[in-house]
Amino acid sequence: YEDLHTFELQAPTRVIEWARGNRVCVAGYGQSGGNEILQLLAPPTLQVKETQGLCPERDFKVECGGFSNRPVYSLKHVPDTSLLVTSGPPDSSLQVWQVSAEDSDVIKRVSAVPAENGTGQPWAKIATVSARAPWVLHGSRLDSVRITEVESGKNVYAAASRNGEELSSLAFLDCHTLLLCCAKGQLCLADVRQPPSPLEAASVPSAPCGERWCMGVGRGPQGSDSRSRPVVRLSSGGHLILTDVRKTSESLASAKCRVPSPSSGAEFLCVSWAPALEGCLAVSGFDGTVHVYDAQSWDGSGREAEPVFVHKGHAFGGAGGGADPPQVTVHAWHPQKPRTLLSAASDGSLHVWDWVQSCGKC
Amino acid sequence: FPEISYLFFFCLGAGAGQDVGRSCILVSIAGKNVMLDCGMHMGYNDDRRFPDFSYITQNGRLTDFLDCVIISHFHLDHCGALPYFSEMVGYDGPIYMTHPTKAICPILLEDYRKITVDKKGETNFFTSQMIKDCMKKVVAVHLHQTVQVDEELEIKAYYAGHVLGAAMFQIKVGCESVVYTGDYNMTPDRHLGAAWIDKCRPDLLITESTYATTIRDSKRCRERDFLKKVHETVERGGKVLIPVFALGRAQELCILLETFWERMNLKAPIYFSTGLTEKANHYYKLFITWTNQKIRKTFVQRNMFEFKHIKAFDRAFADNPGPMVVFATPGMLHAGQSLQIFRKWAGNEKNMVIMPGYCVQGTVGHKILSGQRKLEMEGRQILEVKMQVEYMSFSAHADAKGIMQLIRQAEPRNVLLVHGEAKKMEFLKQKIEQEFHVNCYMPANGETTTIFTNPSIPVDISLGLLKRETAIGLLPDAKKPKLMHGTLIMKDNSFRLVSPEQALKELGLAEHQLRFTCRVHIQDPRKEHETVLRVYNHLKGVLKDYSVQHLPDGSITVESILIQATAHSEDQGTKVLLVSWTYQDEELGSYLTSLLKKGLPQSST
Repeated sequence: YEDLHTFELQAPTRVIEWARGNRVCVAGYGQSGGNEILQLLAPPTLQVKETQGLCPERDFKVECGGFSNRPVYSLKHVPDTSLLVTSGPPDSSLQVWQVSAEDSDVIKRVSAVPAENGTGQPWAKIATVSARAPWVLHGSRLDSVRITEVESGKNVYAAASRNGEELSSLAFLDCHTLLLCCAKGQLCLADVRQPPSPLEAASVPSAPCGERWCMGVGRGPQGSDSRSRPVVRLSSGGHLILTDVRKTSESLASAKCRVPSPSSGAEFLCVSWAPALEGCLAVSGFDGTVHVYDAQSWDGSGREAEPVFVHKGHAFGGAGGGADPPQVTVHAWHPQKPRTLLSAASDGSLHVWDWVQSCGKC
Repeated sequence: FPEISYLFFFCLGAGAGQDVGRSCILVSIAGKNVMLDCGMHMGYNDDRRFPDFSYITQNGRLTDFLDCVIISHFHLDHCGALPYFSEMVGYDGPIYMTHPTKAICPILLEDYRKITVDKKGETNFFTSQMIKDCMKKVVAVHLHQTVQVDEELEIKAYYAGHVLGAAMFQIKVGCESVVYTGDYNMTPDRHLGAAWIDKCRPDLLITESTYATTIRDSKRCRERDFLKKVHETVERGGKVLIPVFALGRAQELCILLETFWERMNLKAPIYFSTGLTEKANHYYKLFITWTNQKIRKTFVQRNMFEFKHIKAFDRAFADNPGPMVVFATPGMLHAGQSLQIFRKWAGNEKNMVIMPGYCVQGTVGHKILSGQRKLEMEGRQILEVKMQVEYMSFSAHADAKGIMQLIRQAEPRNVLLVHGEAKKMEFLKQKIEQEFHVNCYMPANGETTTIFTNPSIPVDISLGLLKRETAIGLLPDAKKPKLMHGTLIMKDNSFRLVSPEQALKELGLAEHQLRFTCRVHIQDPRKEHETVLRVYNHLKGVLKDYSVQHLPDGSITVESILIQATAHSEDQGTKVLLVSWTYQDEELGSYLTSLLKKGLPQSST
């Protein structure tokens, strides 16, 4: 490690969301209520400053907090506002929160986006963008995908699919292009400027059945077309598939990461591209580790890839012996520092780490 | 008997940590006034460094107003103004602190006095003699020992961790109590254990909350980084200067380095500057029972405070070539040996200075931590700082998790958060209120908070009265309150509930019996004894649960109530029933009367 900081949250989180000004949001996912949403100010050691002055503090500070009755399974910051959107069981509604005004450090719930019609909908996946107005893209199934204007609650777009496939991730490629990933692995593209048409789901080439999939969308090179943004899908069996958005039915490259057997389920699967390190992505959710891979070395064979780095810190945490070993619930890259990641685990630990650059690219 | 049942909290100056302020809190509980801590603000050089004691009382002696002063630990922001307060402002009452605090306080106070007066030439400051006179007023206490300040006020100290001798204090008057935490730490470190308190359920818990919003980086990572920096510097032949406050973190860092040196088989010398620190180690050995379990265990085999790799420092060593590590006082590089060494080593970029604590504005420590690399020394000399400047914060205060843990242990009815900054801590307040269903207050400096308590006043009940009351009527239901008659005697601060007869006897008063007689007119032309029979049968039928008797003399008794019948003097067709009862039977008597007034049922005889 170049740097390693380990923290302990009072309750475990499965969301890590960066907000403006070196802030990170986390939230509890306990089923019995009393969950806290915390906006943390990251320690100055995590700031990228030209003049490295002294870093007197290495601790996170709780800047604001709020209380949620529901478990928070997904949390997104709404760009250009001081709003947060969360979602979680028991239904697919969204909660909108206002992060404090000047005189208070309480995060208040200000409104909600109601759930879709129909009962028994799983929790909604969300993505946000700042278009003409701040928008939130949300839905739990392919046929219930909508875009809602956050501040007014107005419905801006609704997908017209009859396909009730469960969604696992969704993203804005740009402010009018959506990319949706189903739990079974299919990818769908939609353009909000066109009238809603049935979404075509391109299935995963040569994928084993019964696995659950999730997706990660990278930033792509600056100034490039949104359609050249790198897209990776990760399955609960450890398969990684890179896809070009323009040809979603084909795969550019694939690999397999080492998965402990038996696989512990797909609850916390997470894959994401490094924002400042080209071709690097991180994978977590199988156990108490986070793997970093250099996808530029992959080909189409799908064989096992060697990680550039493995963070094992969470596996050593917690009480030894009897209790279940902690599982990494989520990870997130630092927006600017190339090799810095944050990861959280089911025992409440929150790690910030930076690995030593080896002689290779990554 | 305490007349006032509220708690009055007044913060004369709060703060610790970030803004090294001065802690001084005044609590008024059931008529007793207690001062908690008496700290000094090291950032100011004038009167602002002391709390403003005129807040307490404008005229009148502090000794008359205050029942006692309690000092939680030896940090100057908690005890620094004590000699000023007791000798220059004037206070002759008792001052309570733990044994280690009593031993170490005067050392720190004298050290600071020396620097402030001798080196800086301050005049309005306490003297060495004042420190000595002040300490004569100190009464040392043991952990968990109940100390009677006077007949009503008692205090008890609990282990607080944080530094050697630090304690949390419970202040109790009757059944009202306050717990003041001072600075505490809920996680054990290398040489101290974690704070602990029993489920004492105080009316109010006053706790430091400056670090409440902090989520601390783990100790292992801090130590790893500290050792990494020291090792790197020593490996390249540089010298490491660690300015310390001598007592507290210094011991911890010594243990850390000693263990690391042993494990890595390092040869570079480590020095600990003499004077203050020698005495400190001496005191740590004395108070070994105040350290944590692990140290106490190893002490049996080998004294943990005697180091193999760490030697006493001599001024001349600073000029020795080659790598070395030196712990020197004082901690903010504001004077003394650490500043001397700093000046010698500052010009070499191979060297490093690691500041282990926050530095007050105006000190050299603060300047270099802010990034200043050209310092103006005495005589207009400019010192260029090329050595590496690092900051490692090891301070051990309770964070939000620790505060919640302590509240869970003590189970207070109200919580009061003392904080150095004027930040809004609405979230923490709500968190505490939601989790524990207690009121949470966070007053600003100079603000008054009033907390109302529900005192429970114990009353002794006489056995005779208890037996009598449980004998009559139905079986007592544990859940329902039972109405009873008795006399409350308040005498000599005790409360007793006795039967009226006993009360009269004790008070030497004669007992008077009150008897009521009521006349009820009944239309009945027959003879008296026939009327009586009718009444008797009627009452027997209605009052099935009561003892209704027909006596040979022609009267009826219902329990102890007497009913007699006579003919009306003027009207033979009317009978007069005399219903007579004592005051104790008022209820039944009234009931009987109204029952009879309703008339008798037509009889068949």
